[in-house]
Amino acid sequence: MDEPANVLLKTLLLYCLLSTTQVFALEPGDVAPAFSLPGLRSEDGTSTTLADYRGKVVYVDFWASWCPPCLVSIPLLNELRNRYVNAGEDFEIVAINLDSDPEDGIDFLLDDPVQYRVLSDPEGATPASYEVKGMPTSYLLDKTGTIRLVHEGFKRSDIDMIEAQVELLLEEN
Amino acid sequence: MHFFLRFALASCLLVWLSGCTPVQAWERGTLARPEMALEPDTMEQALNNHVYFSKEASSGGNSASGGGCGCN
Repeated sequence: MDEPANVLLKTLLLYCLLSTTQVFALEPGDVAPAFSLPGLRSEDGTSTTLADYRGKVVYVDFWASWCPPCLVSIPLLNELRNRYVNAGEDFEIVAINLDSDPEDGIDFLLDDPVQYRVLSDPEGATPASYEVKGMPTSYLLDKTGTIRLVHEGFKRSDIDMIEAQVELLLEEN
Repeated sequence: MHFFLRFALASCLLVWLSGCTPVQAWERGTLARPEMALEPDTMEQALNNHVYFSKEASSGGNSASGGGCGCN
């Protein structure tokens, strides 16, 4: 049993056991990590921070142009956002585009323009701090900046559930 | 083989293993391209599977149900 080969095998097995990557994910109740990102369009030089939205119910949406369900969600989210903002509610969406080439994201928005801010993080530092596990992932924050809903993936019918949650959070003070 | 040589080899292997990192969700732009799909045409794949399990006269092949007649 103490033959060198066995020792090596044991070492390898032990390494395999210990080297599993730990998976932590942000959950409802956690404070949303801060970010400061430039707009997706390069001429839009000013940075936007999460703190700019303090006091509002915020929907932080991570998307990329290569992700089909993200593209399904965008027109629906824009419609939802416009309805609430035009009604004077304290609700806003901030999207973070994760295309490694921001041009791909800009191209998509030319065809499907949105009225909310779209930021760009091609390096992926923000999704790493939010521990994004799939695309799209979005985080609904209450007025204090606490995560209240983590939504992974998107299908058309999800928008009703999201709207119901927004409605609930808007009623809180 | 000399013990130390084995030890050196195993050490190299361990260092090499640590280079394996998962692709993050937001880094899958290239993998998401249509030409990266294992089966580019899902309709064709479904038809091929149907013919395959019919000819095999087996039931439940490739997660599709049915017998050998190929008529379902």
